[in-house]
Amino acid sequence: MKKILELKGVTMQFGGVTALDDVNLHVNEGEILALIGPNGAGKTTVFNVVTGVYKVTKGDIVFNGEISVVGKKRWQITEAGIARTFQNVRLFGEMTALENVITAGDVRSKSGFVGSLFGLPRSRREEKANKEKAMELLKFMGIDHVAHKLGRNLPYGDQRRLEIARALGTQPKLLLLDEPAAGFNPSEKVALAETIKKIRDAGYTILLIEHDMSLIMGISDRVVVLDFGSKIADDSPKVVQNDPRVIEAYLGVPADAS
Amino acid sequence: MTFNLRDKGAELWEKSPKPARVAIASSAMIFAICLPFLGGTFLNTPISSYEAVLVYPVGLFVLMALGLNIVVGKSGLLDLGYVAFFAIGAYTMAILGTTTSLNFWQILPIGIGLAMLSGVILGLPTLRLRGDYLAIVTLGFGEIVRIVALNTMSIGGPNGIANIPTPPKFLSLEYTLQNQKAYYWTVLFLIFMVIWMIRRLSSRRPGRAWESIRQDEDVADLMGVRILKYKIWAFAIGAAIAGAGGVVFASKSMFVAPEMFTLNTSILILACVVFGGMGNIWGVITGAAILAYLPERIRFISDARLLIFGLVLVIMMNVRADGILPRKKREKSLQS
Repeated sequence: MKKILELKGVTMQFGGVTALDDVNLHVNEGEILALIGPNGAGKTTVFNVVTGVYKVTKGDIVFNGEISVVGKKRWQITEAGIARTFQNVRLFGEMTALENVITAGDVRSKSGFVGSLFGLPRSRREEKANKEKAMELLKFMGIDHVAHKLGRNLPYGDQRRLEIARALGTQPKLLLLDEPAAGFNPSEKVALAETIKKIRDAGYTILLIEHDMSLIMGISDRVVVLDFGSKIADDSPKVVQNDPRVIEAYLGVPADAS
Repeated sequence: MTFNLRDKGAELWEKSPKPARVAIASSAMIFAICLPFLGGTFLNTPISSYEAVLVYPVGLFVLMALGLNIVVGKSGLLDLGYVAFFAIGAYTMAILGTTTSLNFWQILPIGIGLAMLSGVILGLPTLRLRGDYLAIVTLGFGEIVRIVALNTMSIGGPNGIANIPTPPKFLSLEYTLQNQKAYYWTVLFLIFMVIWMIRRLSSRRPGRAWESIRQDEDVADLMGVRILKYKIWAFAIGAAIAGAGGVVFASKSMFVAPEMFTLNTSILILACVVFGGMGNIWGVITGAAILAYLPERIRFISDARLLIFGLVLVIMMNVRADGILPRKKREKSLQS
């Protein structure tokens, strides 16, 4: 199986704090990999080093077998094919849902300022194509009925779905979802699980941070567990679930054992 | 619930049929073109020449406020040294006009180009800064340009440059001190061009990128928007517009000196943008027209003039903090 993303001995330090400590992990093409761990384990830090928010202290991150994303600009990483959502929804609130998605298509657009200014045929075609593509994505995520509503006026669930649609708008190969089910009720979670599977089946690879175990067990092909910045488990959901170290990380050690 | 003039206006505009829109737009344009002939009405400015006031400050302030609006209103970059680009345009006209045989029409594109270039040069290192830091650097740049002009004796130093040629006759339009209409119409033409340009860019790729940068720069960056490129474009286009204004200004006043380009002017143009409504071109035009015209209209009360001007600003910012016609995205803006 082809590795689409590989973290090789990644260490991330903030001053004296080590957020990631020599982490090795990889994502196979076409799978749903769940990244779990207690609060502060370094899950979001993984997303941040992969997308270029932070530069790793040590180690290398290889995307798609050849491209090292370390030291690349954020837009270059997006251009290479990595897109993400945010733990706290961060939409462009004063843009419509459709505009949010079209804006994400900027990295794939070619028409320049002159084309936009004079409405040259190529620019017009691209504008039209981008709009259609964005509309398709909204439909895919089931929120096309709010296409012309402002981002900040959308219901919470639609905002979360729009974030995913916007990330897909960059036409990524790898999609990073940071707690997409946060704040969802059980039935919404079930629907989301279906959506995530649908996204995978459409040809995207997904790296997912999530706390909801039933959601993870239901959809992920593999689970990586982080604790205090180190990887403590990397296996199928079933095996990880029964791993004593994972249970210990989540629940602590029984008092009589220490 | 406050009554939102901007939304009501937009709603009316969307509801009206095409012929009505054309009629409204063209009557607004005709009104603007005819303004110089309304000197006999209550619009007249006592003491200052009405026609001259229409060119500077009113016309040029509207033009520059539109340019600054791209930088501050559309892209959210606080530029406190905007007058520097105006100065660069004006000095280009002054230097080339007095030392070469180039005329106004030939210098205009050069002035625009040089202002744009300085926008890019200033933008490349500084646009990585954010918010207050950018404001301070641009403020410094504005002062540097003025002080360089003040201390460079080859361009007149504190004495400035005099005897700048007026533009040659254009068709039957003569540019003279007595006939300011020609200048006004030139500025008006530039304003129309800029409005057309902003409207085009706003609804397309650059406008969306600017908007995303203004709303959340980090997210825009992570979504693949090349924020530095778009910020530099915003800076360069804003600078080009101020440069064009500067060329017209120099040729109209026939004299430039460093003290014409102080921080006050930058702040005043920024005030026009904020007063009118950041990000909304119609608001910005209204704001600039009022703020430029008002001090001239009430010039007869001499000393109390600036007091009243300040009072208007304070009251306005308390009553309508978002400006006269605030930015309010209509929800259907992209529906064709």
